[in-house]
Amino acid sequence: RGGRGRGKKAASEEEEDEDEVPAPRGRRGGNRKAARKGKDGDDEDADDDDDEDGKGPKKRGAGGRGGRGGRGGRGGGRGGRGGKKGGKGKEGDEESEEEEDKKGAKGKKKGGKKGKDEEEDEEEGGKGDKGATGKKGAKGKGKEDSMSEGEMAKLMEEVEEKKKLIATIRNKPWRMRRRLTHLRESQQFVDKFEGALGKGKGRKWYAYKVMMKKKWIKFQRDFENFRTACIPWERKIKEVESHFGSSVASYFIFLRWMYGMNLVLFGFTFGLVVIPEVLMGLPYGSIPRKTVPRAEADSAQDYSVLMDFNGYCKYSVLFYGFYNNQRTIGLLQFRLPLSYLMVGIGTFGYSLMVVIRTMAKNADVGGGDGEDGEFTFAWKMFTSWDYLIGNAETADNKYASITTSFKESIVDEQENQKDENIHLRRFLRVLANFMIICSLGGSGYLIYFVVKRSQEFASRDDLSWYEKNEVMIIMSLLGLVCPPLFETIAELEEYHPRIALKWQLGRIFALFLGNLYTFLFALFDEVNTKLELEGSIRNASLWNMKEYYANFTLNSNDTEATPPPMHPSDIIRGPCWETGVGIEFVKLTVSDIQVTYLTILIGDFARAVIVRFLNYCWCWDLEAGFPSYGEFDISGNVLGLVFNQGMIWMGAFYAPGLVGINVLRLLSSMYYQCWAVMATNVPHERVFKASKSNNFYMGLLLLILFLSLLPVVYTIMTLPPSFDCGPFSGKAKMFDVIMETIDLDLPAFLGTLFSYAANPGLIIPAVLLMVLAIYYLNSVSEAYQGANMELKKKMQMVRLQQKKG
Amino acid sequence: MGSRASTLLREEEIEEIKKETGFSHSQITRLYSRFSSLDKGENGTLSREDFQRIPELAINPLGDRIINAFFPESEDQVNFRGFMRTLAHFRPIEDNEKNKDHTASEPLNSRTNKLLFAFRLYDLDRDDKISRDELLQVLRMMVGVNISDEQLGSIADRTIQEADQNGDSSISFNEFIKVLEKVDVEQKMSIRFLH
Repeated sequence: RGGRGRGKKAASEEEEDEDEVPAPRGRRGGNRKAARKGKDGDDEDADDDDDEDGKGPKKRGAGGRGGRGGRGGRGGGRGGRGGKKGGKGKEGDEESEEEEDKKGAKGKKKGGKKGKDEEEDEEEGGKGDKGATGKKGAKGKGKEDSMSEGEMAKLMEEVEEKKKLIATIRNKPWRMRRRLTHLRESQQFVDKFEGALGKGKGRKWYAYKVMMKKKWIKFQRDFENFRTACIPWERKIKEVESHFGSSVASYFIFLRWMYGMNLVLFGFTFGLVVIPEVLMGLPYGSIPRKTVPRAEADSAQDYSVLMDFNGYCKYSVLFYGFYNNQRTIGLLQFRLPLSYLMVGIGTFGYSLMVVIRTMAKNADVGGGDGEDGEFTFAWKMFTSWDYLIGNAETADNKYASITTSFKESIVDEQENQKDENIHLRRFLRVLANFMIICSLGGSGYLIYFVVKRSQEFASRDDLSWYEKNEVMIIMSLLGLVCPPLFETIAELEEYHPRIALKWQLGRIFALFLGNLYTFLFALFDEVNTKLELEGSIRNASLWNMKEYYANFTLNSNDTEATPPPMHPSDIIRGPCWETGVGIEFVKLTVSDIQVTYLTILIGDFARAVIVRFLNYCWCWDLEAGFPSYGEFDISGNVLGLVFNQGMIWMGAFYAPGLVGINVLRLLSSMYYQCWAVMATNVPHERVFKASKSNNFYMGLLLLILFLSLLPVVYTIMTLPPSFDCGPFSGKAKMFDVIMETIDLDLPAFLGTLFSYAANPGLIIPAVLLMVLAIYYLNSVSEAYQGANMELKKKMQMVRLQQKKG
Repeated sequence: MGSRASTLLREEEIEEIKKETGFSHSQITRLYSRFSSLDKGENGTLSREDFQRIPELAINPLGDRIINAFFPESEDQVNFRGFMRTLAHFRPIEDNEKNKDHTASEPLNSRTNKLLFAFRLYDLDRDDKISRDELLQVLRMMVGVNISDEQLGSIADRTIQEADQNGDSSISFNEFIKVLEKVDVEQKMSIRFLH
């Protein structure tokens, strides 16, 4: 080891080692010798390791030291068993020369001990000193007596050093056996003496606390490792990222996040609503709401009927209508209606919390960007290859990602350098926005017109196929034509691709809102019709029941016997508008899935196959010119995902099975789209880095969450539930379940408490307080941002001065 | 392998290499056995094909340049001394060496020498300047044909613009040092050889 010029042994200033206990020393010496011999037979230090502070541990140190081969002549200076710093068995800790000197070659060249294996000895320097000073005074450590302060401090230092060795042992270029030996010794030392640091009687408790803390830290670390290893699809996404850039990968990360959230929602719904009803509720066929009506019974199993979610599908756990309104069910007295309502509201609450928490987390990351544009290209050029890669596939990915990163930097540079006519650019932008607003208005009016016409059609019977499906056709056409139109118009604006993407997303969002409006409008109409129908059917049903009983008594001549109940499938059923709404949402989701998958199959896959194989016998180059391979449409896919989630949120209350369908859809979507992207798409012409914060997607999601919350809350609060289906049947309003629970299940004072809390006199001040709190937090955060900018500017000025000076 | 290797390496040689490069005795013996295992022709020297058998070098876009750095001017074989001389650049810097005064010639693994090694990877014609063409060659090796030529040219121009201080449109060694000032070269260009 070249590094170790230990010329220590300088002045062996013997520290005060008078109070040393010879006996222990001897003992220790003996031990050490033995230990050391094992290492490298360097027994010179055998004696000098007797630290005054009869630290048994020293022995360990010695052992460790032994490890350091070739400890050149430790020769002299052994005399003063001065500070046995070495004793601190700083095995792996490098110590610097000066430290050795400091230790005043207390003979113990613990120096050697510090296993100086060409490691930096920086920290040792400090430790050396400590050790030097600390270890004065022989603390009869060996004996578990009460220790003086000095002993304690020394012991603590030693323990700290051992701990540091344990932490850094992996970095040392030693052989495995040596590392293991040192590790074992250090661990023994630490275990033995760490607990002993507590004073007197409290020692055991202290040791116990320390042990629990260590176990807790270890447990946390293992858990973190496990959690990171559990993140699904990480490798897939990395592969996509290295080939297509971070903006495409951000879509897949968003998809994965959505999958996680939907999984949790599914868990709630399934566990708290579906399972109890299935396990503890009445089975199929026992009561009217759970049975297929006799009129439909013949066709209930037909494929076409099932595909429309009628027949057996309609009378199953998938939909609202199946659930019984018994207040408590089963042995556990599980309150199903209450649970249903709570889960419905909890879905929104949980989604809201998760979205806002993610937004807050992303906002942190987006904060300071740190390094400026110094030497970006030079660094990329000289330092981007990772020399530790040995696998060919990884090398390909790295190659692709270097290329992508260069392209991203090029785009960023180009944007920074554009400086033309500002006025022309502004004018063009205003023009583009004007044109787009016109087209949005036009499409809005078109939708309104078509919906009006469909209402007229509803009253007629002789409709052609086109007239029946006019609304859907028009909406699909709009969805296909407008986005490319917006993109073409957006070329006038010449924004940075990242910003252009945001504008595009915003505009298509506005377009889809029109679709949403149509859909909700139609649905609302249907609900109103059903509500009117319900009134009359209810009367009819009661009348029918009376008739049945009357007939029965008439025919049986036995006024005493109770008539058998009507067969469930004969009872006249109300229209059950909630199930109808649920069916609509499920149908919409399923058709959305089909359309997406077909589009990918035809638009991307078939196109790629055609371009690849027809290219051999075509006049112009299909791959370079039209149509070439497709690029991954980020905005379309993100919006599809966001709107889909909005539908789920709206429909989950009326169709508990919808969340399960969505989970399956997201799962298959992940694999399908990853495959499609890698196999059929090419990277964008201009690859750009996604903005650090994904808050834009989250913002859209939040907006949709609010929009989908409104209809559900409105129906819960104002519309009366159906009289014969669902968990709220028989009540005047759906939230009456809560009132009922408060009255019957909770203690009386809670009821009065709630009635006080609902007093407007209390609510208005609370709202006022929240508004004030928001205002205050807002101004605080602005102040912080201002301070941030100032600091950044300062840093830049300092750097500039450095450059000049 | 051990026995055969050690017999072919004499003590005086080990001492000389130790003085020149700063490696320890055990490190030199171990590196010698690695040298022998790479030397498939068993003639005491390595050729370029021997290096290309190492997978990490084979897939490295700059692999050829690195292999070149082992061979002295216009030769096709490198013996053990030359091998060690090149590897000495990657020895970690130790504290005690940092403290030595610089009267003696700088050891092979000083920061300046490490940077010089890296510099020579890019400066093919050894004129102590990295010109635009040399940068273009490196870029072509790193990104292939995925970026158009004019864009590559712009990148090269931009790199020179960032680094060049005296306006001669090429990067001299001092400018190179300035560019990588904030990069932890001692850590990145060091291999922890086992003792």
